[in-house]
Amino acid sequence: MLRVHLGTHLEGDWPLGIPVRAGAPPPEFVTAAAAEDFQGAPETVCDILGGARRVILLGVGDAPYETAMESAGAIAAAHTMRVSRLSLDLRGFHRREAIACMTGAVLRAWRYDKLRTKLPENPARLADLYAVTDDATLEARWARQLAVLEGVDFVRDLVTEPSNTLTPDGFTARLEDIAGDGLTLDVLRGDALRTAGLTGLLAVGGASMHPPALAVLRWRGGFDAPPVAFVGKGITFDTGGISIKPADGMWEMRADMAGAAACAGAMLALARRGSPAPAIAVLALAENAVGDAAYRPSDVLRHANGTTIEVVDTDAEGRLVLMDALGFAAREHPAAIIDLATLTGSVVTALGHHMAGVFSNDDALAACVASAGAAVGEPVWHLPIDESHRRALDSDIADLRHCSPERGQPDASQAAAFLREFVGDVPWAHLDIAGVENVAEADDRRAAGATGFGVRLLDRLVRDRFEDPDRN
Amino acid sequence: MLDVRFAASSLPASGALALLVAEGAAPSGLWQAADSATGGAVSRAFATADFTGKEGTTCSLLAPGGGLTRIVAAGLGKPADLSERRLEDAGGSLAAALSRETSVALATDGISGPHAALVALGAVLRAYRFDLYRTKEKPEDKPKLATLNVLTTDAAAATAAWAKAAAVARGVFIARDLASEPPNILTPVEMSNRIEKLRDLGLGVEVLTPEDMEKLGFGALLGVAQGSVNPARTVIMSWNGGAKGEAPLAFIGKGVTFDTGGISIKPAAGMEDMKWDMAGAAAVTGLMAALAGRKAPVNAVGLVGLVENMPSGTAQRPGDVVKSYSGQTIEVLNTDAEGRLVLADVLWYCQEKFAPRFMVDLATLTGAIIISLGHEHAGLFSNDDELAAKLTAAGLASGERLWRMPMGREYDKQIKSDIADMKNIGGRPGGSITAAQFIARFVNDTKWAHLDIAGTAWSTKDLPIVPKGATGYGVRLLDRLVTDHFEA
Repeated sequence: MLRVHLGTHLEGDWPLGIPVRAGAPPPEFVTAAAAEDFQGAPETVCDILGGARRVILLGVGDAPYETAMESAGAIAAAHTMRVSRLSLDLRGFHRREAIACMTGAVLRAWRYDKLRTKLPENPARLADLYAVTDDATLEARWARQLAVLEGVDFVRDLVTEPSNTLTPDGFTARLEDIAGDGLTLDVLRGDALRTAGLTGLLAVGGASMHPPALAVLRWRGGFDAPPVAFVGKGITFDTGGISIKPADGMWEMRADMAGAAACAGAMLALARRGSPAPAIAVLALAENAVGDAAYRPSDVLRHANGTTIEVVDTDAEGRLVLMDALGFAAREHPAAIIDLATLTGSVVTALGHHMAGVFSNDDALAACVASAGAAVGEPVWHLPIDESHRRALDSDIADLRHCSPERGQPDASQAAAFLREFVGDVPWAHLDIAGVENVAEADDRRAAGATGFGVRLLDRLVRDRFEDPDRN
Repeated sequence: MLDVRFAASSLPASGALALLVAEGAAPSGLWQAADSATGGAVSRAFATADFTGKEGTTCSLLAPGGGLTRIVAAGLGKPADLSERRLEDAGGSLAAALSRETSVALATDGISGPHAALVALGAVLRAYRFDLYRTKEKPEDKPKLATLNVLTTDAAAATAAWAKAAAVARGVFIARDLASEPPNILTPVEMSNRIEKLRDLGLGVEVLTPEDMEKLGFGALLGVAQGSVNPARTVIMSWNGGAKGEAPLAFIGKGVTFDTGGISIKPAAGMEDMKWDMAGAAAVTGLMAALAGRKAPVNAVGLVGLVENMPSGTAQRPGDVVKSYSGQTIEVLNTDAEGRLVLADVLWYCQEKFAPRFMVDLATLTGAIIISLGHEHAGLFSNDDELAAKLTAAGLASGERLWRMPMGREYDKQIKSDIADMKNIGGRPGGSITAAQFIARFVNDTKWAHLDIAGTAWSTKDLPIVPKGATGYGVRLLDRLVTDHFEA
């Protein structure tokens, strides 16, 4: 992660990014700006070489600036990935805007070098960010934001790590690394899973030589209240099982644990910034493999609450591990449950790669999730759970089937209807993050690869809704 | 259409009787009268069948005595939850259960006159049947229900409410008929001819031929049509029931009378469904007929772009670039994304010619909307939150529901073309949204909403007030929008 240094003066001779409001380029660069027809519009840039230092003018348009400032920071980083240091001149901006700009740079500069054995010496890689500020209160606020960005960073590394090392046990080992200081970890494996009746997780994880696990992270927070619960789908690799996937693109299924990773990252963020809100994360970790002990289409499972479930397609495994994790979380009597899962292709057809879908049994909670997402640049859109979506799950021989056998179905809504069966009357929101967990191609604003989607949203949701001890 | 009459409340001496039963409610006068005339058969049947009046349930008694052939009761649910939906649905269930009877007396003495009219509307909508092409059906297999005598203590109010409801029902039937017609019969010219007959209702109808459209520069619409021997039409309906000179409301429909996909041809399985790829245009036609039929105090225009999308030696190719009426160029990368090309020209023409208060377009536009929402909600895309909110409310009120979907710059980027102003496809991700973004490029500052009705225009199973087949979705929704918000 980019190292960030705050200072009050401009140092060194490395490149300098200057956010520029609409129509207000700095006097000394008016000529260059005019030559490039740079007016300070959002997401425009004027890269001026040849002076004593390289100066990058970054358009941020008209107020409100926060979103444009984040883009400006990202663009500055994108333009300087091959130098080692970058300065940002944030003087004259509100600390919210300054933080947005630094956040943009940190997120855009992310890269995953852990598996490269031959790092090039030259060109260099962007490693240090020098933020020039005249606001003495920025440092404390930045510390809080840094905690969140560390959560994001943790998630991106997890989502990127290949499935031969990030097995369920590999995942819990990474969780052990972040536990401590009030963040505790319990892991259920083998007999403990059987005793708890987590049949979905055992079935899905049954074929792999890497056995499944249920990881439970707890953050005690600062007051006694029912915790907010995060539930994550953590399929460390998804072959589809007996209903095996086509070979094309199957490699991307290493990211099928992005929901669980986001929940863990959010817990890390809450702990690092010392959030007063008690929280719990329940992560269902399994590899959906092909094997002689694999579960089959037409198997019937029995949930811990007694519900029987007919398996239709073993590649719709996410909802089976989630039903167990949701049931487990609901037994903790949380204030609310938010689950995150790379669950369906259907949500990608519906919303593409720019928004996640949110489904809920509680309109107020869904609205809070949507506004938290909008505030941090992780947008979500509310999608329905209709009666017909639930009816599509009627089984001929069991209480319900876990997906519809027909093609061309609104599978994202049907999956949500399935999950709803296991949360009781706890307020619950389900985020289908398939399509937003990765970026296929880098552009100025976004690095290619894992996005860490969900951490910032959950952190913001907790901040907005769950940190008041008198909340009801 | 089922013949509906309203009469004073008294128990018939023969024929079939329909009852409405609310959960936990005391029996109405006619219900009690029927019970005593049949020696308590009604009470016994309800008890035996465990029929309590729960919504969505019915109880049927054959030859119950008292000279009656049949008594059917439909549940209205709990009185506190009574809604227009439940009244209509009960009427629909009764019509389905009584299809063997020719004439039915419907007891509505427990509810108001306007509510009785809603029950009648439900029955009428469910009793619809598209029967033009059955030549050898045995008489005993045909549904017989022809007359509904609504017994009401409030006949004046019921009759007044029914006059409006009947006009809307006729509009729904026009839409269903058009969508049900086979594509060899219902070509663009034939559909245009049928719309011209609506002049009888007082609608203004103007027809643009390919020559007219050529002169105007409808390059996008004509590009779709050029593969077919059946020439295209754009039809403009107008209803001037409002203040003279007041800008009209505008409704625009996609009318692809058959969609093979063109050179980007569709797979054979299910292609027959593409006869109803004109359901948007059918709904606009039905709506205009409804507004005229009930003499709505509003100015409205309805525009439909009618084409057939065929593969042939003259068909447009993937890769063609066409110039739309707006002047913007479009790279056609998939000839099966043709609906948006038709809408592009008609929408631009509509706002140029009429400067309407708003435009609402209806189109069976994308398969993606079915994967997004299924069949209970149509997709709603809009550049105006207030219009979107009114449409959503009208959807809940009419039972033709809408779900708002997002739009935005990031989606718009997906239709950027390398050589023209835009391309006509944006890929699978967010497929319905990118289609809406495409259409939005042909809307200036006019308030606009786009309804993607691909999942709601046709039903593969019977619903309470919609028999399997063409639903006529959109007519009641938009009539309700007009009634609730735009009538003087």
